[in-house]
This record gives sequence, structure tokens and C-alpha cells, in this order.
Amino acid sequence: MLNRTPRILSAAATAVALTTFAACGGGGQPQTKADGTPLKVYRHSMDGAPVNLDPVQSAVIYSNFVVLNTYDTLYSYKYLTRPYELKPNLAKALPDVSEDGLTYTIQLKEGSGFIDDPAFPDGKGREVVAQDFVYSIKRHFDPQNRSQGAWLWQGKIVGLDEWKENGADYGEDVEGLKALDDHTVQIKLVKPFPQLIYTLAMGFSGIVPREAVEKYGRELSVHPVGSGPFRMERFTTAKAVLVPNKNFRQEPVDLAAEGYDPELHGQFGLEAIDGKAPPFVDRLEIDFITETASRWASFTSDKEVQYSHVPVEQVDGVLASKDPITLKKEWSDRYFSYYGTEAGFVYTYFNMDRPALGTSDDPDTDAKNKALRCAMVDAFSWAERNARFYSGIGNVFPGVITPVVPEFDPETPRDSVTQDMDAARKALKDAGWTPETLPEITYGHVASVTNRQMFEQFRGFMVELGFPVDKVRGDSYATFGDFNKGIKTNKFDVGGLGWGLDYPDAENTLQLFYGPNHTPGSNNANYSNPEFDALYKQTAVMQPGPERTEIYRRMNQMVIDDCVALTGLSRTRIYLWHKNVIGLPDREILGGFWLKYVDVKTGDAE
Amino acid sequence: MNATTTTEAAPAPRKQSESLWSKAVGKFLRDRWGMASLLVVLVYLGIALGVWAGLWGTDWNTLTPTINAEASAEHWFGTNRNGQDIFERAIFSTKTAFEIGLVVAILSTILGAVMGAISGFFAGRWPDEIILWLKGVLDSIPFYLFVAAVAFALQGYAFSMHVAMVATFWTTTARLVRAEVIRLKGFEFVEAAHALGVPELRIISRHIIPNTTHILLVQATITFVSAIKSEVILSFLGLGVKNGVSWGLMISESTNEVTTGFFNNFLAASAFLFVLVMAFNMFSDALQDALDPKKTG
Repeated sequence: MLNRTPRILSAAATAVALTTFAACGGGGQPQTKADGTPLKVYRHSMDGAPVNLDPVQSAVIYSNFVVLNTYDTLYSYKYLTRPYELKPNLAKALPDVSEDGLTYTIQLKEGSGFIDDPAFPDGKGREVVAQDFVYSIKRHFDPQNRSQGAWLWQGKIVGLDEWKENGADYGEDVEGLKALDDHTVQIKLVKPFPQLIYTLAMGFSGIVPREAVEKYGRELSVHPVGSGPFRMERFTTAKAVLVPNKNFRQEPVDLAAEGYDPELHGQFGLEAIDGKAPPFVDRLEIDFITETASRWASFTSDKEVQYSHVPVEQVDGVLASKDPITLKKEWSDRYFSYYGTEAGFVYTYFNMDRPALGTSDDPDTDAKNKALRCAMVDAFSWAERNARFYSGIGNVFPGVITPVVPEFDPETPRDSVTQDMDAARKALKDAGWTPETLPEITYGHVASVTNRQMFEQFRGFMVELGFPVDKVRGDSYATFGDFNKGIKTNKFDVGGLGWGLDYPDAENTLQLFYGPNHTPGSNNANYSNPEFDALYKQTAVMQPGPERTEIYRRMNQMVIDDCVALTGLSRTRIYLWHKNVIGLPDREILGGFWLKYVDVKTGDAE
Repeated sequence: MNATTTTEAAPAPRKQSESLWSKAVGKFLRDRWGMASLLVVLVYLGIALGVWAGLWGTDWNTLTPTINAEASAEHWFGTNRNGQDIFERAIFSTKTAFEIGLVVAILSTILGAVMGAISGFFAGRWPDEIILWLKGVLDSIPFYLFVAAVAFALQGYAFSMHVAMVATFWTTTARLVRAEVIRLKGFEFVEAAHALGVPELRIISRHIIPNTTHILLVQATITFVSAIKSEVILSFLGLGVKNGVSWGLMISESTNEVTTGFFNNFLAASAFLFVLVMAFNMFSDALQDALDPKKTG
């Protein structure tokens, strides 16, 4: 009798535990609602983890992905329209631009609210107002925040740089950045800046409430308080769990306006979301899985993450044909798929500031180094790079204007991306280079298997060209952060990089070679060509059009002719997702803006 | 008539006194497994010397058009993603292994011998205290964590991995040498040297360290194997070899390949590593047995 009570307690505890576990799964998260109906959970996967979720620090795609789902931006991209097209997001409409192109007036939608958070009185999220936008942009110019996005607006908005120099006092007005009333923003530019509207769709322009900054300070980097479609429930280096922001404005999806094309998108079941207000899932989980093999295993287990792109090493096993891209039946039966050329490119730059390959005040050395660089360009095989590292489905193009932007010229001569070893050796010989006189060059890379193999391939080509093997040396860095630091401090002569477009405009890649963007800016090659720089300045204030495109193409040719880089290739990405997911994944441009439209068929609906 | 023997019994031959070394050599030569393992090690050494001399393994970096080719007469172990011959790379990696193994074994044995001898000779005094404290500190850090941390901190230096390993491996040798030196200190030849006024450092270098050679030899072989294994792990983690190729790098390369059913890189590097490590371990055991006077053979 005495033992009975503990036994009852034990049985009760077991029953409670079993009930709890029965209702849980996926790392202890509940799988059903209070009424017993199944929760709609979408599990996304990413190949890297964000380190900082504060919009002022959202420089990498992984951060941007989460920031765009937890914070609101004035503009966004249409869900399905390609090439990418902007649309109003928190803004009511596209901006009202003055005739001189210097004053932008933007109306904000009413009734959009921040998440409920202890940062607000009574923990209730308030409405987003124009002053929040002004405050959020000012934060980039507050030296305390060490913003990674200030470059977007530096020297472009009237009075903003002066505001920073005068001590960044938030009580002080900025002439070019004003809230005319609670729902009207006015931006005055120093000179025309046609790309301004694009910057207002980026995670950097995410709207942050001042109360949250004052309450959380640096903790905002892991505790987002925004007015985006989702609220962060849990965030670790391995996973982010988000739930809908119940204060998010109710805007039914107009599928036709989002670019829906039955031929292209009909198979994905997207019609189900037409006319309904996002977000649709009850929980959005994002798993950060850096190891390709683990991510693929998780996806193909059909029980964990519901999205993955096809890793390069799996392409041959998954595809039935590479041109056109089609999946083998066993894969197309199991998963939805979509593919496209990335909005960005990969390239290998030569550091023009380093004596081994760079420019020189001595005309003879300068000419000799240029001949060497051009010989290296000729010796490099983009076809081989594509075949071995991008499954042969990448899009090789000459220069730095990528195929996805409207300024791309398919007629650009392809000599710079076509291997010609004989011409390369001859050019080297003509310039007086011999194996003994060739400089020792250092190739920087992240210490990953693929990057190391890319270095080995590069070295292989250079050895074929005539370099002694010990004169092409690798310099590996444990993390991308370390590698990036190496770039910014000119540690090596050659470095391989990728660049994802912030907006669909060739200016975004041409600025990588603009002299004043010299390291630690984005011009990692430290290329300096006064003619190029003058044209860049000229186009910076021009609206899109044939005249600007023509100049862009001339600038592109300068980069090719000066042999500044081995460039380039835009990767073709193949996305796969489970068939119970209603959506069209995309990680290009800003990535993540589409997650609010994702829906999941529950067991009953399937 | 008394019969007498025509021959007198010859005096028993005086037994030649055998030195520790000749006994050890004899014991080792009688150890068949020891000899077999030595032979394997010598074959590897031959391969490494051949690579050094440029006789073979010269095409480890050459790109060919074939991607992940299976084994064939042209490419015995197939090719990797870059079309590089896996056999050539495995052969070249033998040189890398010996380079690292020898450098680390020699340096850490010398350092361990010196530190251990000083520590043992001055046991209980401040040099001993300092060395013991240093060893204690180094030993309290998990081995691979420490090696990885040092290799990471010294990234960019060609010999960062060597430094990391030497900084760790000397402590075991020093501990063993210290114990031996404490034992030797009480021997008459050391006391005699003291009595003759021989300076302490000279006693250590001339009289004590040479008497720890049997320990140093065995420790050097153990360190050699540990260095090779550590290199493989560090290279796998991206902290090891930067400008050549090694078995660790080959295994690292194979991580993406095995999921697609291509095992050549993994098998080639693992087989080369396994045979050498096994042979060296057996050689080390045999050497230890041979140098141990308490063991008969």
C-alpha cells in the first residue's frame, strides 16, 4: 500500500510524457495545434548559418535570408516574375520621383505592426511608421553600429554623412531623410541614384523599432524585433524557428500580379495560395547545414528538411539530361524541381597592388606583368572549371556583366574564356618570361575540399603554362571570414570569389572594379583605370537605357582587356523540394523574400 | 697398466661479453615480424626517397581529361575530380609523410631528451619544477585540440603543423627520460664524474643522455607514427599540408566522393596509411622488445 502512490505518480508521469512525445517531433517542437489538427511546418535548409540578424549587419546571404522574413522593407521582388521585378512591400506604391531624379517620396501602408515583444509598452507591437524607416537608415551611419551596409547610401543622401560626422545624434534631423508624417517618407539625393529603390528592398533597409534597439542593444543580433511576416521563436547556429507575426498586414496574394505563368508554375500547386493572405505555414524552420553530404542525406530521407539544391557531386546521379536539364524519373516522381542561372557569378581576380602580377610605375614592368596576366587568362580553361566543379551546367561568359542582367551582351567575344595554351606560352615567351624569372604567386582560398581542388586545378593550368610547381603556392584560410580578411589586407596575388547580385543591374558587378572601391572596399582586385572610373561616375547618375548599357559594355571590355581577372561563370542551380510543399524556392538576388508564400499540404490535404 | 687419455680436456672457451646493442641486434634479427615490418618501412622509405629524387610520383599535380576514372592500366587507382592520378598522389604522399614524420620525430625527441635530462638531473630543484609545470600545462590540453589550435594560430607559416606537433610530442619523451635520468643519477659513473669535477651540463650531455638512447630510439619511432597520423587528421581538417598532397588531403577530398560511390581516393590513401602505420607500430614494438634487457628472445 505504501508503494502505491509512487507507482501511480510514475504511471501518470509516463502517460504525460508519452502524450507529450506523441505530440512532438523534429527536435521537441509540437506538431499539432491545440485543437489536434496538424501544424503546417515547412523545413528549409541552407548551406551556411547567419551570425548576425541585425539589419545593419546583414551582409551575407544567410543573414539576409532571415532578416527579410523578420523585418519589413519598403520594396520587395515579385514572387514569380523573372527577370526580377520590384514591387511595393510596406510602401503603398513605387516612389514618386521628382523630375530631376533627386527627391523620392514614398507612402507607407497603414496597419502593419511590429511583433509583440517586451520592448513595447505592455508587450504589444505597435504600428510601423515613417519615423521607424528614417531611424533604421540613420542607424547605418551611427559609428557605434559599424554597419556593413552604409556604403549603399554613403555620399548619396543629403546631410546623412554630415549627420554622422556631427556625432550621429538621433534627435537631429537629416535634410535628405525625413518622415513628412507617420506614413510618408521623403529622401533627397545629392545626385541621381537610379539604384536607390533596389537598396530599399535589401535586408540592410529592414525597419527596426527604436524601442527594441534601446532594450536589446547588441542582443538584437540574435533577437530580431521587426514587422516582417515571421517572428523568431528560436535561433541557434544550427537552426532558426519562426512563427507567423500575427500583427503582419493582411494582404491577399494576387498570383497573376506576382508573375504566375501556368506553363511554368502550374505543376507546383501555387493556385492554392491565390487570394489568401500570407504567411501560410504555422512554423517555418530553417536548418543551417554546412556539410553538403549531411544536407543531402537530410533532404533525401524525406523526413527532415524539405528543400535542398542538388550538390554538384550528385548532379550526374539526379539528372537524366543536362541540356535541357531534366531529372531522372525516380527523382522527378519524388520531388518538385526548378533550375535557373544564378544572379551572380564566380571569378578569380589578380591583385593589381601586388608586385608579382600587378601594375607598376615602371612602364616596362607594367607591360610585362600585363602580358603575364593575359597569358594566365589564356591558359585557364573555363570549360574545364565548369565541367569539374559545376557539373558542366554553369554559364561561362566573358567579363563581369552577368547573363541575368539586362545589360548582358551575348555577342561579347569569348577569347578571354577560351583556353589557348599555345598562345599563352607564346605571349609569355614574347614578353621575356622564363620559368626562372616567373614570379612566385600566392593563391588564397578557404580551406575547404572544393576550394583546394580549385586551387589545384588553377596550379595545374599554370604549370602547363610554364610555372614551376613550387612557384604557385596555396594560402588557405580556415573560415571565409579569415579569407576575406586576407583579401582586405592584400595577403595574396590571386583569389577566387563569388558575388551574388544585390540588385539586377550591371552596376552591381562593375563596382567591383571601380578604383575608389579599392580594398577594404569591394574592389578586391585593386584595379585602377582612370578611364573606367570616369565612365563609372558618368553612369552612376544615368537612368537605365541603351546609352548606359553601351557604356557598361565598354567598361566590361576594359576589365577583359586589362586581364584583371579570370572571369566568369554563373552557376546553374537546381532546386528540389518535397511534393507536399506549395512554393517556388529561390536563393538569388536577396534570397528568402519568397518564404512568406510557402504553404504545406497537411496529411489530410494530400 | 694404467690407461691414460691422449688428449687433455680443453679449457672451456671464455664467454665473450655481449654489449646491450649487439644483444639487441641479435634479438631483433630473430624477430620475424619485426624484420618483416622493417622491410615494409624500408620499402616506404625507398618510395619516399624516389619521390625526393624525382624518380616517380612526379605527375601528382598533372591534370588529365578524365574525371573520377576507375582503376585502369593507365591510372592504377583511377583519377580524382581534377583528373589527377590517384596512385601518383598516394606515392607522392609517402614523401610528405616521411618528411613530417622525420622532422617531428627528430625534433621532438631531441627536445624531449634535453628537457627530460635537465628535469631528471635537477629533480626537485627549480629547473625541474618549471619543466614539470610546462609539461603539466601542455598535457592538460586535449591533444588534437591543442595541435589544431597551434596550427590554426600559425596559419600561413609553412611549418605551423610541425611546430604544433613538436610542441606537444616532446612531453612524453621528456617524462620517460626524466625517470631514467633519476635512476642513472645514482650510478657510480655519474658520481665519479661529479667527483672528478666534470661540469653538470657536460655530465648530462656526455654521460647521461647517451645512456637513454634505447628510450629515445623507441620514442622516436612512436612519435614518427603519431606525427603521420596527426598530419592526416590536420590535413583532413584543413589545417595541415598546404602546397603538396598528403594522405590526409586525399581522404578529405574523398568526403564528397564517397556519397556518390567513388571510393578510390579514400581506399588508396587509407591503404597506404594503414600499411605504413601498422608496419611502423610493429617495428616499434620489436625494437622495444629488442632493447629491453629483461626480455629474452
